Amino acid sequence: MKQRAVWAAVLVAGLALTGCGSATGSGSSSGGSDKKLVVWDWKSGEASSAQYVEKAKADFAKKHKDVEVEFVAQPFDQYYTLLGAAIQSGKGPDVILFNGGGQIRDRVDSLQPLDEYVGEDRQRLAGWEAFAKGGKTYAAPVTLQGHPIYYNKALYERAGLDPAKPATTWQEFLANCATITQKTGAKCFAQGNKEGIGIQFFLSAMASGVLTPQEYDNWIAGKRDWNSPNVKKIFELWKETGTAKLNNDGANSTAMFNDAFAVFQSAKAAHIIGLMSDIGHWKDFNEFITPEKLGVMMAPTVTSGATPSLPYDGGIGYAVAKWTKDPKVAADLVRSLTSTDALKAFYANAGAITADTTIDVSQSGPAVTTIVGALKTGKPAPHVALSSKALDLMGRLSQQLLSGSISVDDVVKQMAAADTAG
Amino acid sequence: MLAPFVLVAPAVLILVLLRLYPLLLGVNFSFTGDGDRDGAMVGFDNYVDLLRDPLFQGALRNVGLLVLLLPVAVAIPGLLATFIYLRVPGHRFYRSVYFFPAVLSPVIVGAIFNLLLSFDGPVNSILGAFGIGPVDWLGDPDVAMFAVVGVHVWATFGMALVVFLAGFATLDSALLDAARVDGASLTQVIWHVIIPSLTRTIQFVFVTTMIGMLTSMFGLLYVMTSGGPEGSTYLPEYYIWIQQGQMNRPALASAASTVLFVIMLVVGLLQLKLLRRAGRED
Repeated sequence: MKQRAVWAAVLVAGLALTGCGSATGSGSSSGGSDKKLVVWDWKSGEASSAQYVEKAKADFAKKHKDVEVEFVAQPFDQYYTLLGAAIQSGKGPDVILFNGGGQIRDRVDSLQPLDEYVGEDRQRLAGWEAFAKGGKTYAAPVTLQGHPIYYNKALYERAGLDPAKPATTWQEFLANCATITQKTGAKCFAQGNKEGIGIQFFLSAMASGVLTPQEYDNWIAGKRDWNSPNVKKIFELWKETGTAKLNNDGANSTAMFNDAFAVFQSAKAAHIIGLMSDIGHWKDFNEFITPEKLGVMMAPTVTSGATPSLPYDGGIGYAVAKWTKDPKVAADLVRSLTSTDALKAFYANAGAITADTTIDVSQSGPAVTTIVGALKTGKPAPHVALSSKALDLMGRLSQQLLSGSISVDDVVKQMAAADTAG
Repeated sequence: MLAPFVLVAPAVLILVLLRLYPLLLGVNFSFTGDGDRDGAMVGFDNYVDLLRDPLFQGALRNVGLLVLLLPVAVAIPGLLATFIYLRVPGHRFYRSVYFFPAVLSPVIVGAIFNLLLSFDGPVNSILGAFGIGPVDWLGDPDVAMFAVVGVHVWATFGMALVVFLAGFATLDSALLDAARVDGASLTQVIWHVIIPSLTRTIQFVFVTTMIGMLTSMFGLLYVMTSGGPEGSTYLPEYYIWIQQGQMNRPALASAASTVLFVIMLVVGLLQLKLLRRAGRED
């Protein structure tokens, strides 16, 4: 009897211990050995990325034959939660995919600066700023992400407007929208602000038409004057999209991903501030609106002296974790993941505007050509410069602006406080 | 001699290793800092942050709202179970149909109601046919929380209904017959016969519904409102998830978890006390 009880206890203790072990993550998905690198991302599981991963692996194998590379695709909505847990435990993957901006800047303490390894790629790739903090670069850009204003040329034609000449001033833009709504019944903007993302896109797309170039550069450099009349003006325009009924109905309960995109695709709205890569972008819209009927316009000018430009940043990029055994080898893998061959496959299959500006995109339609042509004069997107905390607050305040329960003055006051605290 | 200890060892080990120890680690973690102060002890700073955060205050207010709505959430399955027990026409059909939503996952339920309640969705079309203006069910901060709770009740009342039906099975039908012979109306039957006989069942449903509301609305919130609009549908669990996963503030999330744990402990103990008292009356 006693014997049996002891065995039972040993068995249970053993089970409990192995249970603990697997709860903290098994060796295969975290922490590479000397001869193995583990990559975390949310892309490699998709069929459209298969060729990209293959090319990158092949390129890396040329440099390091003996090092094995394992890609672990995590679900995106859990990604930063899982990564946060791995960072806490101090043993995560060696190479990590990041979104540019706040997501990587909040976590640079756990990352290896890459400046000494990626010097040769500086000129070929664009979008480095989104992965830099304090003068150091922490990831190499794979795609570019930005916020072009797409418009539906077919709706312009039906309203009797010239689709080749979109509005260049805000007044003209409002007049065009009024004509389109009157003639076709379509709204001006497809807007989805359920997650508070609508305001982020709006801020970035409109800022270059409102802020002076000096104000814009200061904003990106972190010197943001929330009380300046031009910053207020952006939020006044946002409020106007609600009061003047420019948005589709129920913007606060419409999800940007993907209900707002669906509104634009089904020609229920003439304009949408979309993305450049991955989703809600030219490739998606081309399918519904056709490449010939999809246009991209620069922000309408609101204040004199503003020079409209395309807002974009490095979209996603690979970083190297601090705890990796040999940073040089890991950095080589990052360089393979951003090689021209690999990125060409990514552009062709996933429909992303990649960071490599040498890739030819002319066969994808006029919208893409406009976007890529605007990259040279483009500037970083204003919302990407904000901390995740400030963005979260801005999302909620923007919903209040649309529902009319807060004033613009109050919004900029709260944003100023959150921006300095964050 | 050692046998009793060896026999309880598995249960104690599992509790201590997998429950109590992580719990203590979590509480300890809530007294450390985030970001630049990672790992440093910061005393009650996280708790002060929490109490000052209007979002967390809103989440706690919503917990209060859930407690207030609890009687409604219990009354609905109770009333429907009563009708089934009293054999309204079609009661067999209703018995199976009412339980059906309980087998759907919250994500699916959320997705269905996202479509139904969208601004240009069917619910607003039907209201429009009666001349009632469209309601932005999930976009109006005064309405959204009620919409989500309503959907949660719809999705989960089937389970409570089954518990009520089980309670009815123990009801002495002679009492009902006697009441009918005495000429009692339906409301009188419910008030004077059914409710007193089902006290313990009702209490049990209260406890389980409360726990369900506080711990399993995450999926619905995530799918239907993402905490919005204007942060009006935050609950503590959603707040914890946002702080840990999106804001990269795990220590603050730990503090919020500790507060939620204390709330659940207090609610649980109060309910236990109520149940014990009711048990003594029997």
